[in-house]
Amino acid sequence: MNFLIIGNSAASTSAIEAIRKHDSTSSIVQLSDEEFPLYSRCLLSYYISNTIKKETLLYRSKDFHREMNVELYTGKDFYATRLDVEKKEVICKNNRAFSFDRLLICTGSSPRIPNSIDEGIEGIFAFRNIADAERILEKIPVTRTAVVMGGGLIGIKTALALNTAGIRTFVVARSNYILSQMIDPSSAQIVSDHLREQDIQIFFETDVSEVLTRNNKLAGVRLSDGKIIDCEILVAAKGVSPNTGLIDGTSILKDYGILTDAFMRTSNENIFAAGDVAQAFDIVLEKQAVNALWTSAVQQGRIAGLNMVGQKTSYNGAIGMNSLNIGNLSLISFGITHPIDDSQYKVLVNNQPQRNIYKKVVIGADNRIKGIILLGNNSNAGVLLSLIQRKTDVSLFEEELLDDRFNFGKLLKYGGESEMDRYYKGMY
Amino acid sequence: MKRIYCKIEKCLACRSCEIACALAHSEYETLVDTLRDQKGVKPRVHVQFVDEEGTLRKVRALAIQCRHCDEPLCAQACISGGIKKDEETGEIIVRLDKCVGCWSCIMVCPTGAISKNENMHQALKCDNCPDKEIPSCIVACPTHALIQEEYDSPQNHEN
Ligand SMILES: Cc1cc2nc3c(=O)[nH]c(=O)nc-3n(C[C@H](O)[C@H](O)[C@H](O)COP(=O)(O)OP(=O)(O)OC[C@H]3O[C@@H](n4cnc5c(N)ncnc54)[C@H](O)[C@@H]3O)c2cc1C
Repeated sequence: MNFLIIGNSAASTSAIEAIRKHDSTSSIVQLSDEEFPLYSRCLLSYYISNTIKKETLLYRSKDFHREMNVELYTGKDFYATRLDVEKKEVICKNNRAFSFDRLLICTGSSPRIPNSIDEGIEGIFAFRNIADAERILEKIPVTRTAVVMGGGLIGIKTALALNTAGIRTFVVARSNYILSQMIDPSSAQIVSDHLREQDIQIFFETDVSEVLTRNNKLAGVRLSDGKIIDCEILVAAKGVSPNTGLIDGTSILKDYGILTDAFMRTSNENIFAAGDVAQAFDIVLEKQAVNALWTSAVQQGRIAGLNMVGQKTSYNGAIGMNSLNIGNLSLISFGITHPIDDSQYKVLVNNQPQRNIYKKVVIGADNRIKGIILLGNNSNAGVLLSLIQRKTDVSLFEEELLDDRFNFGKLLKYGGESEMDRYYKGMY
Repeated sequence: MKRIYCKIEKCLACRSCEIACALAHSEYETLVDTLRDQKGVKPRVHVQFVDEEGTLRKVRALAIQCRHCDEPLCAQACISGGIKKDEETGEIIVRLDKCVGCWSCIMVCPTGAISKNENMHQALKCDNCPDKEIPSCIVACPTHALIQEEYDSPQNHEN
């Protein structure tokens, strides 16, 4: 069997590990246009703030591909440009063709760059890969002020990193509250207050309308309300879109991402997709969705790898989940946290402003948890997540879910004998 | 591999295991010095109540620590690649030199067995006391509620 994998990041790594667990002999060829050894892009914000060293970015040992017996080709030349489904072949930028019996597409996603922004201007950055991080790091010593476009997870992580690096940082958010994909307005207010205390200022319902330059270098930005901010760095963090280009012109089906079934198989039986590029089943949304998250990428890569090697395993599904720290304020959220139509859900809130704690659970008409916010106290977050994943009916103990004492012990109490059994049999 | 279990009917929630664990994982010899420590020494075993009602004798509780899961969600969620299952021993190991304190592991751990050392931005969890013959929580348990048993993965039966 010849396996071909495109991309060298979260999804592909866990696919390789899953394949090699069951098959040490088949050939695995991997292509990636990024040169740097396998690293975690989630850590890039820690890298630009000088919290970690470059070495720490490495996600696996430098010998990983050799140990896993993977033939890895990296660099711009090995950017996969075309897929020939009939010939079972992928063609690279340097015209080399790689054939496969089974293909896994893990091409991830790319930052969305607004039309008003020209990345060619010095000081303007998207923030996705190590090359971007290096350019930002070079610019930091000569920067006093930075503007981050976008109040999502990556925007806020970037703003916190620049702030830690000693740069005065502004966030420009189009919506009227930050982290709107993750949390609700009340919790976002607490987070914004914390950011302000750390000297990160946020402009809401605004956008960058014009980039001001001097000698082709960034000098400042004009906001949609006319305000001008002098700055040396502008980071565009307006979300990402899946890199689906490789399947253009083929019969493989896509919606927003590449459509995958429960086995992470695309509409072609020999071609799989996983990670940011894949649109896979979402447990809470109960439909195919793109969850551009590290954990989803790892889990989907594993499922794809197992099925590619003939270990039939189905994917339970993804759930939107994020963990973020704003100084010492911790935040974890899952699923649907701010439903548009409240009447379909039961919403419970535990708000303790004096302790900076805000917790919320959103329960569906079927008594299953659809979403959770844990701000200020994230202990036992995974116990609550397991209730979502296992679609547990929580009607008997919903009032206790947000109690600071809710933990695995309570799961044993309400789960009764079968839960005790799971514990003693070590079914985790 | 061996796993630590708690016999719920025997646990009095006395927290002797927590104290012994914190002491065993501190750099000090005595409990007093451990408590004085500023770096945030914490137990990696957690006493949790199943039922809180009633008198001490009627309380049902357990001491929970890392289950060293077969398909560890913490390792899948770890953004730094610092959590791995040791293929030989089956233990889940956290490499503190890689940990950035993002708490992605806490986000997914189904038993809530991971806690944080906030001062050091590090995730803490049971390491089965690698230097000891018997883990310190088991030694400390006055009612012998904690036991270590050879555990055969359900997966091993399949293959
Ligand atoms: C700054 C930052 C912080 C983040 N923080 C978090 C976080 O805290 N938590 C979280 O869950 N997620 C976070 N994410 C998101 C997370 O990094 C992604 O979800 C994850 O990297 C997806 O992995 P992947 O394997 O699907 O693809 P990617 O990591 O996108 O990797 C795809 C790889 O394929 C290569 N490639 C693409 N097309 C081709 C081609 N045609 N030929 C050859 N190679 C190609 C790309 O260059 C890239 O190297 C963060 C992202 C960023 C940028």
